[in-house]
Amino acid sequence: MRISRRKFLKIGAATAAAASLSGLGWPHAADASQNRLRIRYTKEYHTICTFCGVGCGVICHVRNGVIVNIEGDPDHPINEGTLCSKGSSISNISYVFDEAGRPKPNPNRLTKVLYREPSSDRYQEVEWDWALDAIARRIKATRDATLEASVEVDGREVTVNRTQAIGWLGSAFCTGEENYLFHKMARAIGITRMDHCARL
Amino acid sequence: MRSQICLVDTSKCTGCRACQSACKQWNQLPAESTTFTGAYENPPYFSCMTWTKVVFREHDDHGSTRWYMSKQGCMHCTDAACVLACPTGAIHHTNQGTVTIDEIKCIGCNYCAAACSFRVIGFDRSANFAKKCTFCYDRISNGLKPACSSACPTGALLFGDEREIIRQAQSRVGYLQANGRQDARIYGLDEVQGTAMLYVLEDFPDRYGLPSDPHVPIQTRIWNAIYGPLRIAVVLAVTFSIWANYNKNRELDEGKAANQDGGGAER
Repeated sequence: MRISRRKFLKIGAATAAAASLSGLGWPHAADASQNRLRIRYTKEYHTICTFCGVGCGVICHVRNGVIVNIEGDPDHPINEGTLCSKGSSISNISYVFDEAGRPKPNPNRLTKVLYREPSSDRYQEVEWDWALDAIARRIKATRDATLEASVEVDGREVTVNRTQAIGWLGSAFCTGEENYLFHKMARAIGITRMDHCARL
Repeated sequence: MRSQICLVDTSKCTGCRACQSACKQWNQLPAESTTFTGAYENPPYFSCMTWTKVVFREHDDHGSTRWYMSKQGCMHCTDAACVLACPTGAIHHTNQGTVTIDEIKCIGCNYCAAACSFRVIGFDRSANFAKKCTFCYDRISNGLKPACSSACPTGALLFGDEREIIRQAQSRVGYLQANGRQDARIYGLDEVQGTAMLYVLEDFPDRYGLPSDPHVPIQTRIWNAIYGPLRIAVVLAVTFSIWANYNKNRELDEGKAANQDGGGAER
């Protein structure tokens, strides 16, 4: 290997220039790569947080049918963009992150109907149609067997058309509109024992 | 350089940890499996998966226990020890005045974690680089608030224009002092030449688990003074040796080619 003095100087200058350029240029390039928002090119859907009865508004950022981010809705009058610790982690209902930080569908999320037969010790997966039919049939049977058409109050007959044998629970995991419909349906059947985890 | 900062008003903090889970949610950090440590604080330490958390501290104040809670994480100091300690320049100040780790340049030496007064830099052993709060650089440079600040339900985390935030902090300290908190103070305005996380504390910083005198260690300053110029020399030496090695290889190849042309069997 032979390096002439001219060649050595040339290379030295080029290297120094490259080193100083890299020192100037790299941080900005790195910042630009972090500049991209994780939620760009996503569609926004507005919904209500399902954890409690406060009813905070949340925005779901959806890309290709997958919820990539959920945060508080700044335009919502109740929470004004804020969320509590449970609400902040609500996107984990659909997707969780493993130890390497990769998203995967939440393995604990129920996607099928689980049914435990009377006096059975395990759950089995059943079809939605079967489950809904079974629930309807049992509600109808219990209600018909225990329906009180009227009761006597202070010596006179009062029409009540109620059953006291069924308890009905709403869910904070449904929206307020859905719970309104549940409530209407329970009233139509004649159920008077109604409650809800958020006491709506 | 720095235009927007965050105020942590500990007198309004209820310790709900919304900031903590919002940080994990936005930065897609996995949960840590922890064990009970005898305190509400969980996880007990900052790590590569926990960039911010609410620190709970109890203090026995003449028989009555007082409970101090504050959201802590990277302070994004102006005179940052981690930036001085980093040998490759991976930790740097961004154009927003925040401190960010460039994962491409990080060599995983962990000097930053050792130099930090606040002990907030976590080390990712699987990926072999340091990780910490980025002040949600992607969000703030796109006009959004940091994830922790946008989640806070009580308004204890305010994000905004630096002057406005400092003014609010001063008025809040004035209010607290007038209402029986004589030790109320601003933390982070003069410490390490100003931090992007400004605190309104009701009491002494050490009761919140914050260092009362954060500073850049003198070893770090010496290290930086020696290593800074040396860095350029190392870059030059490495580049030169790569070039020299390339030339040598070429010479060998040429020699080999010449031998083959000559029909020589020698190697």
